[in-house]
Order: sequence, then structure tokens, then C-alpha cells
Amino acid sequence: MTVTATAPAPTRPELHQSTVAQTLAMSKRSVLSLWRQPSLVVPSLIFPLFFAALGTASFARATSIPGFPAVDSYLDFALAGAVVQGILFGSTVGATALATDIENGFFDRLLSSPSTRSGIIVGRMAGGMVYGFFQTIFFITVLLPFGLSIKGGVAGVLTMAIGGTILALAVGALMSAMAIKTGSSEAVQGAFPLLFIAMFFSSAFFPRETMSGFYGTLADINPISHLVEGFRDLTIEGFSLSAAVRSVVIPAILAVLAVTLALRTLKHRLAAR
Amino acid sequence: MTTVDDTTTHRPRSVAATRVLPASVGLMRRSIVNITRLPSAFIPSIMMPIFQAIAFSGTFFAIIQIPGFPTDRSINWFLPLAVVMGSGFAGIGIGFTAIRDLEGGFYDRMRLTPAPRWSLITGPLLAALVRSLIVTTIVFAVGSLFGARLTHGPIGLVPLYVAGLGIATIGTGWGLGLAYRFRDMRAAAIMQLTFFLLIFLTEAQTPLYIMEGWLESVARINPFNNVIRLARLGFVDPPMTWDDTWGGLLAIAVFSALALLFARRGLARLSRV
Repeated sequence: MTVTATAPAPTRPELHQSTVAQTLAMSKRSVLSLWRQPSLVVPSLIFPLFFAALGTASFARATSIPGFPAVDSYLDFALAGAVVQGILFGSTVGATALATDIENGFFDRLLSSPSTRSGIIVGRMAGGMVYGFFQTIFFITVLLPFGLSIKGGVAGVLTMAIGGTILALAVGALMSAMAIKTGSSEAVQGAFPLLFIAMFFSSAFFPRETMSGFYGTLADINPISHLVEGFRDLTIEGFSLSAAVRSVVIPAILAVLAVTLALRTLKHRLAAR
Repeated sequence: MTTVDDTTTHRPRSVAATRVLPASVGLMRRSIVNITRLPSAFIPSIMMPIFQAIAFSGTFFAIIQIPGFPTDRSINWFLPLAVVMGSGFAGIGIGFTAIRDLEGGFYDRMRLTPAPRWSLITGPLLAALVRSLIVTTIVFAVGSLFGARLTHGPIGLVPLYVAGLGIATIGTGWGLGLAYRFRDMRAAAIMQLTFFLLIFLTEAQTPLYIMEGWLESVARINPFNNVIRLARLGFVDPPMTWDDTWGGLLAIAVFSALALLFARRGLARLSRV
């Protein structure tokens, strides 16, 4: 009789169990889910372009109004708003998927596995970050043949793409906090108008200098105004340290606050179990 | 003991004698009661046009400085647009309700009753008209607080209400027609997107003579442009004339008839399923 001894399975490298590897695995799942369901993300590509085209045709003559920055066309002015609008809309998709994971029990299975808590959250947001980067490049690429000019050049485009990626993290984390808190995809969708309102009470579509009264005050204190203006300065004025800092640091601060909120919400959810 | 023959004084009515109006009123009352029982479904349809009127007039406050702009108040320009959008979505909301009723089996039960088929359209239509009246009244009241003024006196409210009721009729026909054909929530996206595009591809944001390029050409041939122009008659500086009125009335009449016919044929198709 021959006895065959089964050799022990080779142990997987330590890296495969690390936080980074787990986060990467979750990130891959998140990116793939966006790639495989284009119908979820296409509206966030189409609508900002539609509004940019609509605004360019409607407000072409508004660029001569006192307070309006010197621009070659309204399209140059509109780009920053279109990018931020697209990212605000697109980043809710990941949070909605997280809420769906909670609803159908997949989130609980992840929690009962030995995976890191931060990996679950950050991994889910990674898809949104990749998509935010893609959106920024996509909007610029599509609008270039229609007369868009970016004075900031390649450095300006890259800075906007980095800012867009971080903004996607910030918005995704904020909406994920909502998803974890409520465990309802409907609630996440229901909170979407808040982003819409935040964008409208900013300088995303028209310069702050042309607004007045309480509306102007709201736009002044809205961080989205300053973020959009950073992107806009890179487009219509050229690359500058001030514009780059506003484009990257403002979303970074928002991201830190939002991720902290999401992780705290997760901690409270786990404590309540 | 005296026996009274009831049959001589109280003859049972034939089910075939059920008339359209009582059945329609019954269905309308059901829809209106749902507003109080499920306010979360109706409140957004009030809040969104209010938000739109305030946000657009605040963001685009400066467009009144464009030479030749027909009013010196941005709220006067955007309030009628918000009423048209709100009333249109009040009609389309009826389409959403129809989808829920189809999925829940309510329509199957209705088709077993002697209620005339037309009442399945006129009932929801009456409900949409009531909703439109509510939306128009509230948006006008709130808009007045934010500075909207009737430039030609109270008579200016007539075209606003007519445009609101007309667009609600078109929205209802379109919404019901799609709901009867698709019978699930796929119809909802088509209802919203098409309506949204038709309304925005007009002089929704700026007058025709201020636009440039493709939008001016599209808006000029878009019949919904006449409806928006009708709604604005009482809020802009130029006098109210028949020349600016009949186009809107004609567009409402033609598109209402077509939309209701579309709904009726959809209902007939549903009955054959």
C-alpha cells in the first residue's frame, strides 16, 4: 500500500493578509462593480456635459457682465462646475452600493471575516476615487474639441484630476457614513438632493462676485465655491500655487473629515450590535 | 302587516351606467388622500420647484444685467420656469403612482370593476391638475416673499396657472402612457429624462435673442418654448399680447391631446395583456 502524504499547502505571503492587500481586494471589487454596471454611472457623465453645453449656449453673453472673470468663452468658466457636479453625482454610486451590501447581508459577512474595518470602507470608496479621476479627464477630453482651453496646461489638468480624485473620496465617505448610519440605499439616494443644494449655493455656475444678499453670503462660506474656483483658476488663469492648493487641500480637508465620520459611524454601528 | 315593494321606488342601476365623471372623481380623491397619507412622496414635488426658483434666481442673479433682458428681477424670470417644472413633474408623478399601482395589482382590480376605461386616465389627470394648482400657488406665494412681482397686475396669474395646468396634463398623459407600456420603474427614468430635456431645451435660462449657437436653433422650434413663454407673460416687462399667448395655448392643446391619446392607447394595450 502506498501512502501519499499530502504536502501542506504553501502559505500565502504575509502581504496577502495585510491591511493594504485587503483594501486593494475591496478596491478591485468596487472598481469592477462600476465597470460592470455602466448604467449606474453614465448619467453622471452625461448630465454635467449637458449642463455645460446648455450654459455655454445660454450664458455666452453673460461673460461681459461686471464681476465676471475674463474668459475666452463660458465653456472655460463652466468646466470647473461640470467636473465638481459630475463627481458629486458619481460618488453617491459607491455609497449606494455600500448600503445595498448592508441591506443584502454582504456587509455583515465582511464584518464577520478577519478583514480590517478601514479596508472595508476605504476599499468601497476606491471605486469612486478611480471614477472621479476618470471623470475629470473625461470631461476635459470631451470638451476640448468644443473650444475648451486650459491655461494651466498639463500641470493644471493633473492637479484637477488629483483634486477630483480626493473630492470623490470626500463625497463617497460622507455618503458612506449615511449608508452605514441608515443601512438603506433609499436613504442614501434621498440625501442626494443635499449635494445638489450645496452645489447650487456655490459659485459652481456663476461667479460669487455677481451674487448678492444672503445668497452671496452662503456662496462665500461654502467650501465648494473655493474648490471650484481653484479648478477654475487653473483653467482660465494658468497654473499657480494658490489655485493648486485650493484644488487639492480643500477636498483633502473634506476627505479627512468625511472618512473620520464614516469610520466613527461604523464604530457606533458595530458597538450597537 | 303592510308589505312595501321596494323595487318600484328603488331600481338597481345597471353597472353599464357607471359614468366617467363619478369614477374619475373617486380616483382623484384616492390620489389626493395619498398626499396626506404619504406626504413624503408629495413634499419633494413642492420643495423642488421652490428650491429651483430660489436657487436659479440667486445663482443667475446677474443675468438681468445683460442688455435687453426682459425683467429687472431674476426671480420673475425663474419663478414661472419652476412652476412649469413643478407642474410637469406633478403630472409625471401620477405616472410613478400608476407604476406602483400596476405592480401592486390595483389596476387589475380596477379593470374588473365597471368603471369606464377613460376614468383610469381622467381620474389621475384630475389629481394632477389639483397638484398643479397646489404647486403653482405655493411656489408663487414663496416666490413673492423673495421678490417676485406681477408686472401687469393679478391678470398675469392667469397664464401662469394655465401653463401649469397644461403642462401637468401633458405630463400626466406622457407618464401614464409610458407606465402602461413598460409596467415597471424603467418607465420612470424615461418620463423624467424626456421631460427634463424638453423643458431645458427652451429659453428656460435666457431669452432666445441672448442665446448663441445650437440651443437658439433648438429652442426656436421646441413647442414647449411657447408654454414657458406663456407662463412668463405676467412676470416680464413687455405687455401681454395675443401674439405671445396663442402659441402656448396651441402647444398645450395639441400636446395634451396627443399625450392623453398616448395614454389611452397604452391603457388599451394593457387591457390586451
